[in-house]
Amino acid sequence: MIKLEGINKTYFGAQPLHVLKGIDLNVGEGELVSIMGASGSGKSTLLNILGILDNYDDGSYYLAGKLVKNLSENQAAEYRNKMIGFIFQSFNLIPFKTAVENVALPLYYQGVPRKKRNMMAMEYLDRFGLKDWAGHYPNELSGGQKQRVSIARALVTSPKIILADEPTGALDSKTSIEVMKILHEVNASGITMIIVTHERGIANLTNKIVHLKDGIIENIEENNSQIVDFEREVK
Amino acid sequence: MDFWSEIFMALRRNKLRTILTGFAISWGIFMLIILLSVGNGLKNGVNTNFADRAKNTYTIWSSETELPYKGHKANRWITLTDKDIEYLENHLYHVDEVSPVFTKGGMLIFSDKSKSVQVEGVRPIYKNIQGIKIMEGRFINDNDMKTKAKVVVIDKTTAELVKDKIISDKEQENPVKARKTKRYKNDDISILGQLVMINDINFTIIGVFEGQMWGNMGQCYAPFSTMQLIYNENNRYYQLSFTTKGLETKEDNENFSKELKRNMALLHEFSPDDQRGVWIDSQMLNALETNKIFNTINIFIWVIGIAMLISGVVGVTNIMRITVKERTVEIGIRKALGAKPRSILMSIVMEALIITTVFGYAGMFVGMGLMEVINKIMETVNAGKGANEAAVFLNLSVDIKIVFMATLVLIISGVIAGLAPAWKAVNVKPVEAMSNRS
Repeated sequence: MIKLEGINKTYFGAQPLHVLKGIDLNVGEGELVSIMGASGSGKSTLLNILGILDNYDDGSYYLAGKLVKNLSENQAAEYRNKMIGFIFQSFNLIPFKTAVENVALPLYYQGVPRKKRNMMAMEYLDRFGLKDWAGHYPNELSGGQKQRVSIARALVTSPKIILADEPTGALDSKTSIEVMKILHEVNASGITMIIVTHERGIANLTNKIVHLKDGIIENIEENNSQIVDFEREVK
Repeated sequence: MDFWSEIFMALRRNKLRTILTGFAISWGIFMLIILLSVGNGLKNGVNTNFADRAKNTYTIWSSETELPYKGHKANRWITLTDKDIEYLENHLYHVDEVSPVFTKGGMLIFSDKSKSVQVEGVRPIYKNIQGIKIMEGRFINDNDMKTKAKVVVIDKTTAELVKDKIISDKEQENPVKARKTKRYKNDDISILGQLVMINDINFTIIGVFEGQMWGNMGQCYAPFSTMQLIYNENNRYYQLSFTTKGLETKEDNENFSKELKRNMALLHEFSPDDQRGVWIDSQMLNALETNKIFNTINIFIWVIGIAMLISGVVGVTNIMRITVKERTVEIGIRKALGAKPRSILMSIVMEALIITTVFGYAGMFVGMGLMEVINKIMETVNAGKGANEAAVFLNLSVDIKIVFMATLVLIISGVIAGLAPAWKAVNVKPVEAMSNRS
């Protein structure tokens, strides 16, 4: 599903910062992968490149068999819209839109008619137990609810991959468990998922843990334990 | 359709922002209209006091000399006579028609009512020279002049005095009818043909003109020939008015004024350098002088107006920049969710366009509406006044084209102002936009 070959990325500021120094990574379809690393290890940059939110200098990135390189803004927007679902630590819901409108927004950019997209958004909200909260604005929702809304938003376009940036970073452990269970379910339905985290517990709940250090992959840890104990891992 | 409902939703959900932006624009346009209207009102108000007078007219007033000349002492009174009329009519090419003005004060008596009046003996052309508006009947004509008819044109207020007397007489004659109809209507009574006595001589009223003298004095016009016959054996006049032909420009009029003064000096033997002797008054030069003042006022108003428009533009620009900056996060989120740059840019520009257009034209209509209301009020207030009582402001109005243009300027500048930061925001990477949590 995802194939990275020698990805290099340098930020040119007052002092050039070589953030990614040749990343090679394969993620198969349906995999649940976590990327771990200390802050400054380049994990956010890597996620941005995977999400086509940022471009890279060297190497190649194949997403579902397509080379993602030097895309125009419009192409990048289209790829993001159709293939990728984002989940952010800070939720990034639009404050003046209701839950259902937030979930339906990606569909708006696909040109889906209002009625249909609101119906689809309702389905996803229902799936995460938020049907009754559909008409509420983000500031009327709890953190866990907000994150569920944003998961619904990420899924509403039936993307190929879900990219989650510290999805539990702003949540307490109880809601973290809830969210991780949902993400597991989503993954179980066959959607490839990459979670960026610095919490070992969260990483332990994934099949593959990619350790990133100073812009290179230190090692990739396979985690094939069949039993997933959310309560033990998330503290 | 979906695009528009997205925009309207964004505007509705961000009411404060929308209203603040809109108010800045409405206010700018509103103030501009007030300013321009008041300027125009001032101009209209003063202009009506001149507008009806023919521009190509001159008046010569007799006066005292200031300098001794050719054996004559200073402070000699120069009198205008038939010789001057003859001279003006036959020796000066540019003089068209002359009307001497022979003024006589007196007492006008109608039945048991009386009023002090000033009677001016004039020729028919004087109607044009002075811009006299006839409300009823007619002005003096050539036949009155020829026959030296004892006819008189009286002012509105004096006419009302006569009319009221006729009505009260009729009511006394026929109290039953008066009670039935409450009162004889003003409109039913014509005073034309009534005889009034001025200084013991009977005159027939042939017309009523609008306007009145200052104070309580009445004003009447009688044929010059009649007045000359009755009062003026010496043919001495205080004032000569005439129309001119072929004097088109300011230079023409200035040259003619000088020539006239020189000739009058020659005729009456006073120094051509004398500032006085006779006063010469050119209606056109007066009008040009007035125009000059108004042009200055106009320029002043425009300078302020443009300054106001600029401050409006700056205000709109500022709000637009802040708005877009405030929305950077939202723009980032939308981009992450797959919004194309064009779509974001369009929605920002369209929002700006809608706000500026709606509020701009709202400000315009409120401003114009207010002007109309003020006009109506002023009409009512002015209705009671005579025409010669100068209304300082009249018909506050503003050129709708100018207002539309000004509004358009604000709209375009608002959109351009929104465009630049929006373009910047659109081109920012979504990650950076979303991390912009200032």
